[in-house]
Amino acid sequence: MQKYLLKRFWILLLTLFAVSLFAFALSKMAPGDPVEQFEDVPIQGSKAQRLRSYKRTAQKLGVDKPLFYFQFSSAAYPDTLYRITNYYERETIKRLIARYGNWELIQNYWHEIHEMERKIEKLPDSLDRNALIKLRQNTTDLFVFHKPGKINKAFRNIHTALENEALYSAIHQDSERLANAYQRVVNEPSKYKHYVPKFAWHGLDNQYHIWFSNFFTGNFGYSYESNQKIETKIWSHLRWTLLLNVLALFIIFSISIPIGVYGAVHQDSWLDHWGSLGLFILYSLPSFWIATLLIIFFTTPEYGMDWFPTHGLGDISEDDSFWDIFWMRAYHLVLPVFCMSYASLAFVSRQMRGGMIDVFQQDYIRTARAKGLAEQLVIWKHSFRNALFPIITLVASIFPGLLAGSLVIEVIFSIPGMGKLTIDSIYARDWPVVYTILMFSALMTMIGILVADLLYAWADPRVSFAKKSK
Amino acid sequence: MFKRKKHIESLESNAYWARVSREFKKNRLAVWSLRILYVLLFIAIFADFIANEKPIYCKVEGQTYFPVIKSYGVQLGLDEWPKDLAMADWYKLDYGAVLWAPIPYSAKTIDFKNNHYRSPFGPQRVESNKFWHWLGTDELGHDIAAGMISGTRTAMLVGIIAMSIATILGIFFGALAGFWGDDRFKVSRLRLYLNILAIPLGIFYGFKARPLAWYEGSFGSELFKSIGIVFFVFLLFNGIAFLLERAKRSGKMITIPVDLLVMRFIEIMNSIPALLLLLSIVAIINDQSIIYVMIIIGFIRWTGIARFIRSELLRVRRLEYIEAAEALGLSKWKTLFRHAIPNALTPVLISISFGIAGAILLEAFFSFLGITDGDVTWGSILKTARRYPSAWWLAVLPGAAIFMTVTIFNLIGDGLSNAMNPKKVK
Repeated sequence: MQKYLLKRFWILLLTLFAVSLFAFALSKMAPGDPVEQFEDVPIQGSKAQRLRSYKRTAQKLGVDKPLFYFQFSSAAYPDTLYRITNYYERETIKRLIARYGNWELIQNYWHEIHEMERKIEKLPDSLDRNALIKLRQNTTDLFVFHKPGKINKAFRNIHTALENEALYSAIHQDSERLANAYQRVVNEPSKYKHYVPKFAWHGLDNQYHIWFSNFFTGNFGYSYESNQKIETKIWSHLRWTLLLNVLALFIIFSISIPIGVYGAVHQDSWLDHWGSLGLFILYSLPSFWIATLLIIFFTTPEYGMDWFPTHGLGDISEDDSFWDIFWMRAYHLVLPVFCMSYASLAFVSRQMRGGMIDVFQQDYIRTARAKGLAEQLVIWKHSFRNALFPIITLVASIFPGLLAGSLVIEVIFSIPGMGKLTIDSIYARDWPVVYTILMFSALMTMIGILVADLLYAWADPRVSFAKKSK
Repeated sequence: MFKRKKHIESLESNAYWARVSREFKKNRLAVWSLRILYVLLFIAIFADFIANEKPIYCKVEGQTYFPVIKSYGVQLGLDEWPKDLAMADWYKLDYGAVLWAPIPYSAKTIDFKNNHYRSPFGPQRVESNKFWHWLGTDELGHDIAAGMISGTRTAMLVGIIAMSIATILGIFFGALAGFWGDDRFKVSRLRLYLNILAIPLGIFYGFKARPLAWYEGSFGSELFKSIGIVFFVFLLFNGIAFLLERAKRSGKMITIPVDLLVMRFIEIMNSIPALLLLLSIVAIINDQSIIYVMIIIGFIRWTGIARFIRSELLRVRRLEYIEAAEALGLSKWKTLFRHAIPNALTPVLISISFGIAGAILLEAFFSFLGITDGDVTWGSILKTARRYPSAWWLAVLPGAAIFMTVTIFNLIGDGLSNAMNPKKVK
């Protein structure tokens, strides 16, 4: 048993590691500048101030560090690229490297753009305004341009802006240096470097390590969308999902077990026959369809059956009594909980019925009947307990399924739970929240499987994990 | 001698098939499901001839056209529309003779005269009954019947593509685990090292060494090329290993516990929350087309098939004819592909048919949430129903289609599993 637990634990860690790598990689592949998404409002002030604020945010989000413990890439890419804090600059440099492969020259070119920008910043405003604006615009454009056509066009524009005498004398040296630097990048490419693999070690101070270790201390980072801490966001949503799931689980097991036992005891009666068919159909009905139908037919006056609220959880004011709130919530939860539970209810009933029938065929049941035990005693004391094992494991396997199921129900009925949070975050491109939830549900799934195994062993002493593991 | 053995074997498998199909035919529900499936497949294959805004056959200004067939040629770039037809409104042409498709609308045809949710039974502004919207329209005037036909095609495609990928992966991993087990997969030390080396190099030359192509090419084709390069690297290294093995310079043989490794891998795959994973992958691919959903479903849902194949092969491996094949000196691979897998495949059908049901449901769910976009599908029609409760036809029909399709695949799976294990029927 201990050996089995240990094995399970290792698998859990390994899976979590795999999922975390996957989630992390996905979140980094998602397009967009996290800092900009986080800041939202354009920051006033001079360029230096904006730069400082950008750096501060980047530090807060931890995106100014290397991505991973090591970097396995082509020799064309330097291992210090992460030090360029600005997302767009970094992306442009990456693309330039992809095109030309000569990092040293690109670095020089980049340095020259910055120099030029600094120089332009210092120019007196007394100069020709239009030419100055044109010059400034085209120089900053170079930070995001990586296609030769666009870059050349920007250079041509800079050239025409410099036709102004005063500007020319002030800045032509820098502009020529810049143009030369770019020409060198284009003329002396080293594309072969792309085919040389390179390995660089970054150590523990990297984004993944910090994200992953923070995950276990309950510090999940910040949501881009609302700038809240993710944990506050998740906790406020989690309670509704939990409430929905607990209610659904309670209903599933309190209804399906009697149905299953009845079906098994009265096997092949007409009620059992039609009941089985009904359960099968119920099991196959897609819940998002049923939810849509219920919303359309029972929550609108259109068909004269406006019995339930369409969405949400009801408005609650401060001075409502407990019972007011209770009834309000219950009224709003009837349809969602029904939609979440009916499929699993059918499934568990079928399993329960099958399990009971299996047990009825066992020798010890025949013995129990032969020695004259009352039928009720045979059913509930001898059979029921043994038929319960597979059901116990279902609790755990249903749980992750319910989480997924509550996703669509929450979206349809607008209940502010985890599922709705996930979908909303995906629409809002709020990746940190999405990937934290992904990690969470992976953890839940694994714990579910583990608990199922343990319950199974606890309920049925015959189960031996030592043998099963082979 | 081989010939004769093969003959006997095929007789045996025929007998097995005959028994399975006899048992299957006793199950009325399953047989009917299969018949409905044939109808659905027919609709999916001939969707363009059933619902199309272009006529199947027409005569314009003395010229005879088969526009539906012609449009296939145009899509493939083999054919071109004549100038006056290229931008023509097909409903307003002056036809000498014309044969319309049974539903004379495409899924995306907008009928401006019948927009804003026309009921199938309500008033519709149509010239003749031929153009009646039998299943109503939606807000913009899309014909729902045409949408349902297009949805049938998508559903079948999802099932087939997703499960093909899952089946290939499942058979590969299942065969690896079941046929070789923990103690029969032996490779030379050299080949093992070369393959371990091929992993980073394959990834490097496939994905990392071509950054410009990845930045500027299209995602799908670059992915395809990259995977091709990875395969090539593995092929190359195994070729080297093969040559060195021939030259007997490959070192000791090592046993790899493939069964253990594959089973662990499956356990890991199963504890990943598939739905959320799918959602988060699809969300960052900018292209919202359904094809990625199909592929990803295939890559997630292979574990069930792999388990089936594994347990089947564990059984088959011990049968006499496999031992005989090996004793005759057939190579392991040949034994596996020619003799073992064909006999292990039948039970996989069960898993495939349940898998198709799951894949169709998942795809419908995605279009319902609006995560995927593009083609008209059952899920996307159902999504529009929520905007306008009075349009009951938008809610009832596509949902019923999803339900029916999922159910028939489940029933077929049930029927197959009962037919293969007649004793277990409850």
